[in-house]
Amino acid sequence: MNRRTALAGLTTAAVALTLGACAPSSDSPEPGAAAGEGCDGEAVALDVWSWRTEDVKTYEQIFDVFEEANPCITVNFQAHLNTEYDQILRTGLTGSDGPDIAQVRSYGLLQPLIEGGNLEPLEDLVPALGDFDQAILDGARSREDGAVYGVPLATQTIQVYYNTAIFEENGLAEPETWDDFIALNETLLEKDVTPLAVGARDGWFVPTVHDALTAAQYGGADFQQALRDGDTDFTDPAYVDSLQTFKDLQKYMPDDVTGVPYTDAQVLFTSEQAAMFAGGSYEQAFFQEANPDLDLGVFQVPPPPGSALDHPVSAGYADGNWGLSATTEHPEEAETLLNWLATPEFGQLVADELKQFSPIPGVEFSDPLQQEMWDLYQENPAPYLLLVDFRYGDPVGTDLMGEAGQKLFLGDADAEQAAGIIQDGLSAWWTPGE
Amino acid sequence: MNGRRTAALPTPVALLFLLPAAALFAVFVLYPMATALTYSLFSWRGTAQEAFVGLDNFVALLTTEPYRSQLPRAFAHNGLLFAGAMVVQNSVGLLLAYALHKRDRLRRLFQVLYTMPYLVSPLVVGYLWSLLLSPLFGPVNAALRAVGLESVAQPWLGDPDTALWVVVLVTAWQWVGFPLLIYGAALGSLDPTMEEAAMLDGASSRQRFWHVTLPMLLPVIGTVSVLTFIFSMEAFPIPYALGGSNGSPAGATDVMSLLFYRTAFNSGASNAIGISSAVAIVLFVVIVGVSVLFTRWFRHVERGLT
Repeated sequence: MNRRTALAGLTTAAVALTLGACAPSSDSPEPGAAAGEGCDGEAVALDVWSWRTEDVKTYEQIFDVFEEANPCITVNFQAHLNTEYDQILRTGLTGSDGPDIAQVRSYGLLQPLIEGGNLEPLEDLVPALGDFDQAILDGARSREDGAVYGVPLATQTIQVYYNTAIFEENGLAEPETWDDFIALNETLLEKDVTPLAVGARDGWFVPTVHDALTAAQYGGADFQQALRDGDTDFTDPAYVDSLQTFKDLQKYMPDDVTGVPYTDAQVLFTSEQAAMFAGGSYEQAFFQEANPDLDLGVFQVPPPPGSALDHPVSAGYADGNWGLSATTEHPEEAETLLNWLATPEFGQLVADELKQFSPIPGVEFSDPLQQEMWDLYQENPAPYLLLVDFRYGDPVGTDLMGEAGQKLFLGDADAEQAAGIIQDGLSAWWTPGE
Repeated sequence: MNGRRTAALPTPVALLFLLPAAALFAVFVLYPMATALTYSLFSWRGTAQEAFVGLDNFVALLTTEPYRSQLPRAFAHNGLLFAGAMVVQNSVGLLLAYALHKRDRLRRLFQVLYTMPYLVSPLVVGYLWSLLLSPLFGPVNAALRAVGLESVAQPWLGDPDTALWVVVLVTAWQWVGFPLLIYGAALGSLDPTMEEAAMLDGASSRQRFWHVTLPMLLPVIGTVSVLTFIFSMEAFPIPYALGGSNGSPAGATDVMSLLFYRTAFNSGASNAIGISSAVAIVLFVVIVGVSVLFTRWFRHVERGLT
């Protein structure tokens, strides 16, 4: 029995180890089997991978438009579970049966694929990239050679949503000044409505809320530039002040906020028990689906007195790109598809059908709320700082802010110590000015 | 177990029968293990393997941030999960098994009921408990308030002082059926005359449990302990469901598998594969090492008793 126990120990431990090894597999179906109708030459099927399992039907309809115009190319769209996607893609691109074109992450999390030589640089292949906003292209840029390795797919903006019915009932309006903002929070608190629906148990959500509420206070893009130039770091008084403001706003959030999961914060807002939700543009579709009667408005939080900026901002970031596999067997056809993915026609389909912000120039949004979020961002953009510039090493900035913010809310750290957690963590791989 | 016989050399036919299992074992266990080991000895640039660096990844794991502080913290949490499982899950399992052992009619029913949670995926169990314990909508706090225990209601998963113990309790809730079944089977196989003899000598039921039954269960307790150790060191789905990949709140539920997951799939570091493979190897070595030592020590204790 004892020997068996030891053996059981060995095997179980070994199974744990297999987690660590991602060996390439070779059992995907053969592409190119189905020939397109009305094709004169040789029909080619392209494998396109995505992490959007919820959008498979919509994407298939979108690619039907492409296939009609290009009868010799069939798009074989496959989605993998979001949480497993990075591992599957890494395996696929290093093996022989990977995709021709794949949705890839942005900024730091894209770098492993670029560094591994799994993706092709695209500026020469897709001329339309020259028309994109430079800040958005940064999401697809290589840290090493500065080349662009993806066609940007979507942009997310971060702002505050509010329930217009609750605002009207209590005689409230969108805040013009910081005092307005505090006053409306106080009014809601008196009326027993949770002002801000926040869930800080999910660490990733904490930096989103922080930037939605205080990006203008620490200086948005100016602060980003100062970090890049090496003029300051996260212990900067402006950044510490923004964390203090974040802590001061805790009284307008649900009690025991570090125990509240993100999904409960969503429900708090959609069930009309909370008046405001600080979050990304990606929330809109869920909010409207969860409660079709919900009447939504959005605003940017005005900066408190003494802020680095004198105007409010929306933080934003590039969320996903289309990358070209370095080992594709159909480079010409893949190039044709990639160029189509950079056209306003595709961008408009993304906006209309997927309700996402396509960053392709010339796209318009039919939904007024969506258009408003986009306009606010265009007027006063800011980077979603910790995601945009601080995911190029380990630990990533957003994780550090998650931990620092939780300690701040728990009272285990003050604003200065919280800033110190972020700065110390990042100093493992980042030096200001580099 | 004692009568050791020299095994005859396997015949070619026997080898043939071993082949399928051996092949599966080689492909699905040995090969990935060897790969992980080699991965950890190289430096990586994204997905591209670079130079052989010997033990550099392990040195980095022990000497550079964030690993230098996260690795011991995660190990300590795994250790607490193990201690908690021994105290809560295994002792409750043993007591339940002992109580059920004496009841012929309801034993089956309760065994089935107590083992039911294991049929549910641990990830689902984790998410269900996270809903139950939510400070806003969770029925646990609502029930406590309803019966006037307002002061006991806690942000269970939001407080670093309680979060890890919630992980222990949820894990125990799911797995208590495991020691229950093993101890139940062991109790069933014990010779009842021993206990009868003790009873005739006037031993109380408590004395009979402590001085007769428990020593006879010692080999099984050893097995259950080693397996519990392995499960505790590998804990992933329940901590992940209750605290996310960062071990919220503020790292209070961070464990080794989460550290591995973060370094492997959620890091922007170039050498993520090298470092995360080193984490996997360290975990493997600790599990095997402690399991073997513990098994030996236990065998020694057993011998002392007989």
